[in-house]
Amino acid sequence: MKRRAPHPATAKSSLTDRGRTTGRMSCNTSVTRVRMSSMGQTQTAPVHLLPCEVEHDGPAQVAQYFAATTKDRKYEKTVSFRGRGLKGQELSCPQGYTGLVLKDINKPGSDQEDRTVKVSSVFDKLTYWNMETSPNSDDTVVMAMDWPELAEAIHGPVED
Amino acid sequence: MSSSCAVIVSEETAVMDLGPFETDNSVSCRLASQIPDVCKTEDCCLGIDEAGRGPVLGPMVYGICFCPVSKKQQLKDSKVADSKTLSEAEREKLFQNLDEAKSYVGWAVQILSPNTISTSMLQRTKYNLNALSHDTAIGLVQFALDSGVQLKEVYVDTVGPADKYEAKLSQLFPGIEVTVRPKADSLFPVVSAASICAKVARDRVVKGWNFAEDMGEVDTDYGSGYPNDPKTKAWLLKCLDPVFGYPQFVRFSWSTAQTLMDSKAVTVHWDDDEEDGEKAAQRQHNKSMLSYFSASAGGE
Repeated sequence: MKRRAPHPATAKSSLTDRGRTTGRMSCNTSVTRVRMSSMGQTQTAPVHLLPCEVEHDGPAQVAQYFAATTKDRKYEKTVSFRGRGLKGQELSCPQGYTGLVLKDINKPGSDQEDRTVKVSSVFDKLTYWNMETSPNSDDTVVMAMDWPELAEAIHGPVED
Repeated sequence: MSSSCAVIVSEETAVMDLGPFETDNSVSCRLASQIPDVCKTEDCCLGIDEAGRGPVLGPMVYGICFCPVSKKQQLKDSKVADSKTLSEAEREKLFQNLDEAKSYVGWAVQILSPNTISTSMLQRTKYNLNALSHDTAIGLVQFALDSGVQLKEVYVDTVGPADKYEAKLSQLFPGIEVTVRPKADSLFPVVSAASICAKVARDRVVKGWNFAEDMGEVDTDYGSGYPNDPKTKAWLLKCLDPVFGYPQFVRFSWSTAQTLMDSKAVTVHWDDDEEDGEKAAQRQHNKSMLSYFSASAGGE
């Protein structure tokens, strides 16, 4: 899933259980190509979207530290990361959409260069985490998941 | 898993069932003795003290101990003294004495997990350790009252200004004579007794800490947990994970832990970090959504 954080306050990092934090995709004029042939051999991975930026792009012990300490209560999940309390909710990708965790095939020299990425894993749901408050319908990511359906209702063909 | 440790401990020594805390050691948990019947009918005194305020590892424990005012001398004769001057074995022995006096002595402890301490102190609207301590002490006094203990005198050990705290407690509990003193644990036997309960709970919890994290073979040679203990320092260096920092056993809000993470772990930015807004925006390489709607859209 391509992410363009509209404002620093909502910028997120994500962690996947297979140990990748997804890199930032900046707003620029270069082109990013996704090598779709790589999709065949990928597995589904649990994805966590955190309310912070982790300056790390590589493996992490997500299962050992994060998943192992997550408390899954009736209406919300709780965990702490670096001593800060988080509350989370599982979000499904919109119908007909698949989430992609992408990885650069060649590290681009700068943001201006075109880049080619491969699909390292796929997901159909993710856990969205907020700091101290439960995710709710005011959160942009929660709203974004409803957007395709709304757009379809507005722009789709009208039945008589 | 580690509940078996607690069982072994309780078999050897006086009863304090840590089970409820060990089921979830990421939260705050209260453990209490039976309330002696005599404490519900006679005027009582109560002491409050804490254990483990300074360490970077493990919980902070608040303890209360209470008995009828008429039994003060008897409590004193059971030789409870300031727990800081005692060894762990001596404290266990004194806790045993308290347990043997259970017909007239009751106690309760509130275990504040290191995770509770971290997430409180690092909350968006900071909840400092003093406020957390005061609220915990108040909660325990309220627990004694709710359990029917006829409280008339409360003695509190304090760090920080005693008179302000004394006024606060007196106002909250009208009809109870509140005495707040630094080093109250060496002045009043009932505070020494509370100190022993708190310290014994902390000793046992730290000793048998059940790591929720899947850390494989964890080195449990972490020393006293005080930041200046060489064993604690060595353990903190060894157990640092570059992304997650530490297991929940560590107080992330302690400068010792933060300094180590600043130098040896990857940097994590939060939206409430105290850094310049413009710099933060630059670092994130992105623009405010509003910039796309202004006349100079896209212009740098």
